[in-house]
Amino acid sequence: MKYRIRHITHYDYDQVVNACYNRAHLLPRETAFQSTSVPQVIIFPIPSTGSRRVDYFGNREYHFAIHEPHKELSIEVITDVNLSGTRIDPVGQLQYGNTCQQVKELLNSQYLDVETLYAREFLLDSPMIKSTDNLLAYAEECFSDSKPLLSAVRDLTNKIYTTFEYDPSFTTIMTPLDEVLKYKRGVCQDFAHLAIGCLRALGYPARYISGYLETLPPPGEKKLVGVDASHAWFSVYSPGEGWFEFDPTNDTIPVGQHIVTAWGRDYSDVSPLRGVILGGGVSQSLSVSVDVARLTES
Amino acid sequence: MSQQQNQSQEGSQTSDSNEIPIYTLYKEGYDEVYQVEGQLTGYWEGLLQNLSSLGIENLSQRYNKAQRILRNDGVTYKPYDESKNRSWKLDPVPLVLDSQTWESIESGLLQRAELFDVLLKDIYGRQELIRQGVIPPEAVFSNPGFLRPCFGSVAIAEQGLLLCAVDMLRTPDHHVTIIGDRTQSPSGAGNALENRTVINRVFPSLFRDTQVRRLTVFFQSMRHRLNQLSPTGELPNIVVLTPGSRSESYFEHAYLANYLGYSLVQGRDLTVRNGRVWTKSLGGLTRVDVILRRVDDFFCDPAELKSDSYLGVPGLLEVVRSKKVAVANPIGSAALESAVYLKYIDNISQFFTGKTLSLPTAKTYWAYDKQDMEFILDNIHRLVIKPSFKSRDTYSVLGHRLKSKQLDELRKKILANPLRIVAQEFITPGFSPTWEDNQLVPRPSVLRSFAVVGDSFYTVMPGGLTCTGQSDDASIINHHIAGLSKDTWVLTEEPEQQFSPASDKHDVAHLIQEQLPTLPSRVVENMFWLGRYAVRAEFALRLLRTVFLQLNHSQQFSEEGKKTLLIAVTKVTETFPGFTQSDSVLLSNPETELMSVILDEKRAGSLMYSLNELLECAEEVKPLMSADTQRVVNDIRDEVKVLGNALKYDFASAPEEALDPLVTSLLTFSGLVHESMIRGYGWRFIEIGRNLERSYQTMLLIRALITPVQKEFDKDIILETLLLTLEALITYRRRFRARTDVVSGLVLTIMDDSNPRSLHYLLQELQKHIEKLPVPNAGPLLTPERRTIIGLLHKIQLSDLHGLCVPNKENQRNKLDELMEQSQDLINELSGLLSDRYFDHMESYQQIQKKQWEEEL
Repeated sequence: MKYRIRHITHYDYDQVVNACYNRAHLLPRETAFQSTSVPQVIIFPIPSTGSRRVDYFGNREYHFAIHEPHKELSIEVITDVNLSGTRIDPVGQLQYGNTCQQVKELLNSQYLDVETLYAREFLLDSPMIKSTDNLLAYAEECFSDSKPLLSAVRDLTNKIYTTFEYDPSFTTIMTPLDEVLKYKRGVCQDFAHLAIGCLRALGYPARYISGYLETLPPPGEKKLVGVDASHAWFSVYSPGEGWFEFDPTNDTIPVGQHIVTAWGRDYSDVSPLRGVILGGGVSQSLSVSVDVARLTES
Repeated sequence: MSQQQNQSQEGSQTSDSNEIPIYTLYKEGYDEVYQVEGQLTGYWEGLLQNLSSLGIENLSQRYNKAQRILRNDGVTYKPYDESKNRSWKLDPVPLVLDSQTWESIESGLLQRAELFDVLLKDIYGRQELIRQGVIPPEAVFSNPGFLRPCFGSVAIAEQGLLLCAVDMLRTPDHHVTIIGDRTQSPSGAGNALENRTVINRVFPSLFRDTQVRRLTVFFQSMRHRLNQLSPTGELPNIVVLTPGSRSESYFEHAYLANYLGYSLVQGRDLTVRNGRVWTKSLGGLTRVDVILRRVDDFFCDPAELKSDSYLGVPGLLEVVRSKKVAVANPIGSAALESAVYLKYIDNISQFFTGKTLSLPTAKTYWAYDKQDMEFILDNIHRLVIKPSFKSRDTYSVLGHRLKSKQLDELRKKILANPLRIVAQEFITPGFSPTWEDNQLVPRPSVLRSFAVVGDSFYTVMPGGLTCTGQSDDASIINHHIAGLSKDTWVLTEEPEQQFSPASDKHDVAHLIQEQLPTLPSRVVENMFWLGRYAVRAEFALRLLRTVFLQLNHSQQFSEEGKKTLLIAVTKVTETFPGFTQSDSVLLSNPETELMSVILDEKRAGSLMYSLNELLECAEEVKPLMSADTQRVVNDIRDEVKVLGNALKYDFASAPEEALDPLVTSLLTFSGLVHESMIRGYGWRFIEIGRNLERSYQTMLLIRALITPVQKEFDKDIILETLLLTLEALITYRRRFRARTDVVSGLVLTIMDDSNPRSLHYLLQELQKHIEKLPVPNAGPLLTPERRTIIGLLHKIQLSDLHGLCVPNKENQRNKLDELMEQSQDLINELSGLLSDRYFDHMESYQQIQKKQWEEEL
């Protein structure tokens, strides 16, 4: 499946910004199941410097600085993405692969392959996710020693989907995980963080994925431009088998419609834009428009 | 071990009260002097004899002299739990190491420095240690000092570690053992140099009899390497980046900057433009090529690292990546300071070099390792429990100091945070003689030595900074707490030329003075405020002194006159409402309010407030002050400390005398500025600040005292107060004899340009200085600041003093008041204009996207 992703971020500032220094995670990366064109980046005002690099996690990172006074900033990224295949059957029961117990044993065995060694980084606490007893207690029932890990994670995803309410008014990106768990509300970032926290508390490596999801209009209606949104989900690691993606917000296994931008330990590693601005006053407004358009095969 | 040596100290003192008792070891453990049981080591014998021959009195005097020099040079440290700086102390007895011992230390340190360089490159590069299973991945990944944005950094790969430091001690069985490494911006090399300079000055004769290796080669290597790091290939512009005067090792930052001849800058002095780093200076932007970094790496770039840091430079990391600036040590090198590496260091050495390290490392256990955890829990009572990763709120705990209940709690903590805890066996450091209470006593010490890259190899400083405990309790030695250090002597058979770093230091200071146009704008601004606060404090002092005198000694003084005086205090110091709230109780018992105007440091306008601001500005411009000026600033600091007490004691009688020493110090300060400062822009801005403030204060005083027309018998006293405060009374009497009329007083204090305290004179001075300031793109038009000063000067010159003194119906000289008020407004405008043009207006920066999560993981 081929898509053209167009992501526009627009800031309006209260007062003039004299300079800014930013790092963007807005350029979709390549993965085993995703190839991309070279992302096109259009920034206004025109930056005095701009450069691309690959970050620690292998994501595409874009750095830019602007030294022209401005009250608006817009960043537009256009990328063509080609999705092919998946590692697991999205509709099956996932009754195969390493059991939970095997995964734990393999993670701690004396001689580890490099991929597993590196996966252990995703067992540790990260800036926004601290594994706690509450998270452990919430997730425990989905897991048992003899159960295949993937099947258990599928159950966890389903549990989050059924017990939590999608509520964009409740959380901000600063809402702590404990509060999300307590009030059982949140958005895709929160659910991804929650699942990752549960998995780490139980001893399974998990990482955060940011990206896009194609939304389809109701049957018979025409799709509107810009209605798509950034999305977030997670993947879990099983030694010898690799990383497997799950989407707790939609209770699905990503295939064909999830476009990966970047991954990291949590949101803080891959936040779309971070940096500082000089000036700008006290308030700023941000608008984001995302368009995931199918490209017809030619 | 040497109990048989133990003589009764009282016994030996009775023979001659000035004789220094023989040094004896009274503690179990290793002693530098008695390396072989009961036997005085040869090279110590001569030194101890030399010191003893001085006698108690002489040695004490020299000890005090050394402390005085340190204090005057401003050598301070700041304990974590205190807000004020404390002075370092320097022991007169050096730690002596013979050439043989040193050779083995030196080769061990070289080996270690090379290894840490490789380690740094590996962690931020190929990570072979993780891939090959030499260290568990958590050793790197759970370390908050491992900065992922620095991964793959070319700076780390090409440049490596410029400087590293190693803390070591002698174990009871004589071995030198390493207890920790410092890799991001090791402090203490400057202190070591300062210690050598001071000991050299205080005990020149000791050096005549002993061949001691020089420290200067080390700094030459550093300078050489920093030049090599130039990204342009040309001679680089190098700066020392400091967190500022509140940093605990600020002294050293300023000292090194001066010694090496580099500018001392703070994050806010630097800016990133067009992919390069620049200093914001009086003459515009100056390119920076190399940064000797003393800011912790997490704070270096708010755009990518700690986003609320104000100590760094936004965008710096990206400039480093594009190799347009070199930062040493590379940002990210704090990762190596984790005690976890101590556990694996021998394996790491084996892995990279096939050899073990020649100097042993203290055996270290990491609670994350299952076996280590078991060992720690079982042996907790005899271990030192340490944080795996240092941070501001972590500290070490000594197991043997804890009761069983506390040990249980500690065990729980360890079990809950295995990644974050390491443990080491407690080692009693070696002892060496230390001067304390008129005798030489054994004190434990830890040596920090330094390695720096020269051309391509590391060079080790021959010696280092020895930190010594101030009691025989070996467990409390930590230089943050102890604050006592020793010079460290490495003996050599070959004669080396004695060298005094002091002379070098001064040459460099002159060099910096001449480069003033490139001074950071922040420094210029602080110079200006230094001048203003010095005068503001001096003015308040003079006025208060005069008011005390008049209140206590003038017999015929009406309530009205007294009121005018007290209100003048409020108006001149601008500590409203004060005496202006017509409160009869306040006016009849003014002592409390007067004390507050002097001592309340939280009250803007109070004397204490101005003095504290003055001291703060002085800290900021420290590298530009001469040793003498620094000494006067120290005097002011001391007097500030005792003023409260002095006043309490003196308040009943002649409180004005308690203020005298401060007036003297402030005058000395002005004198030094006037006499000894190079006439660069720094000096000019102090002078502008001083003249501007003095004009303003004079206007305030004239308004407060002369505007209300006084009763006959008050008239003289009030005029006298004006003249006394403005130091014009004697001239006045000589010139106008017994006549007391206001117009003559104003002639002298406003118009007479032969009186250096008159407004006319002050404004002329101000004009001269302003005309010498650099103005970019100056055309034939006057700049706003020149226009303002000319206008103000003419306003004063053209004023009709007789007319101004005619009172209105309310018995107020309202025209005079209006003129002074307008003049004040112009002074304020002028100050604003100068500030707009010449000072840095760093806009505060904010995150483009707000967040609050802890970034330290």
